[in-house]
Amino acid sequence: MTSDHLSTTFATLADPTRRAILARLAAGEATVKELAKPFDLSPPAISKHLKVLERAGLITRSRTAQWRPCRLKPEPLKEVADWVERYRRFWEESFDRLDDYLRELQAQATQPKRPKHKEPANGHRKR
Amino acid sequence: MDTGNAEPAGASLRAGTTTLPSEREIVFTRVFDAPRALVFEAWTDPRHLVHWWGPRGFTLTIHEIAVQPGGMWRFLMHGPDGVDYPNVIVFDEVVPPERLIYSHSGEAEHDSARFQVTVTFAEQGHRTAVTMRMLFPSAAERDHVVKQYGAIEGGNQTLDRLTEYLGAMA
Repeated sequence: MTSDHLSTTFATLADPTRRAILARLAAGEATVKELAKPFDLSPPAISKHLKVLERAGLITRSRTAQWRPCRLKPEPLKEVADWVERYRRFWEESFDRLDDYLRELQAQATQPKRPKHKEPANGHRKR
Repeated sequence: MDTGNAEPAGASLRAGTTTLPSEREIVFTRVFDAPRALVFEAWTDPRHLVHWWGPRGFTLTIHEIAVQPGGMWRFLMHGPDGVDYPNVIVFDEVVPPERLIYSHSGEAEHDSARFQVTVTFAEQGHRTAVTMRMLFPSAAERDHVVKQYGAIEGGNQTLDRLTEYLGAMA
């Protein structure tokens, strides 16, 4: 995997038609005709998009079957997902904790006597 | 900053979004049911930060924190697996209670996982919308992260989620 590789994936995904084609192929293989149907595009225009997707390694096309169905190749997408996922998990969970913590703070604030804020058990600090 | 969490992805989804506006950016948004001043305080006061920063199971030791332009926040994240993760944040911009801009890195001298973060706090009635934009300095640094921390499970789930993120791509 090189920088160029992942950048190519992103450049390829920057087009909404190509993303829609990939979304369709995520549900199973399809022919050019089937892929062209939901779009207001001619089969040659779709073929152009398919060539870009194929070059980026995002799809493969059968060499043997008469209708040359297209199939999604998920590996390059997984590289992008790996990058995002690392941070997504971190922040999803931190935000969940922050959400809970903010509720706690506000519940404390509405009580008649606000208990003194608990000091953290770990770490020393200076400001 | 490895999450080191074995929970199935998406198990804790609340109302938040993840988008990829460009090949070097990740944007997270979340609306909190709390006034903006309090949310900002929770992000900038060490007494609050230790209660929520990091995935579940992580604890924090704060070595120093100065929330001001040029100020530094050095802390250690203790993972549930016993591994410690050093972190350094340098604040570029501090505009209470609206905005924080900082650079985030590990403590290693050459840390190619560093990135710049812009956090904005927007009032939505009594609630607060937080937008967190992570910007990686180059494609090479983004790829370093992929290489170092890649290999995640859950192929189909991941692809589904990725399709969602990409749907919002510019």
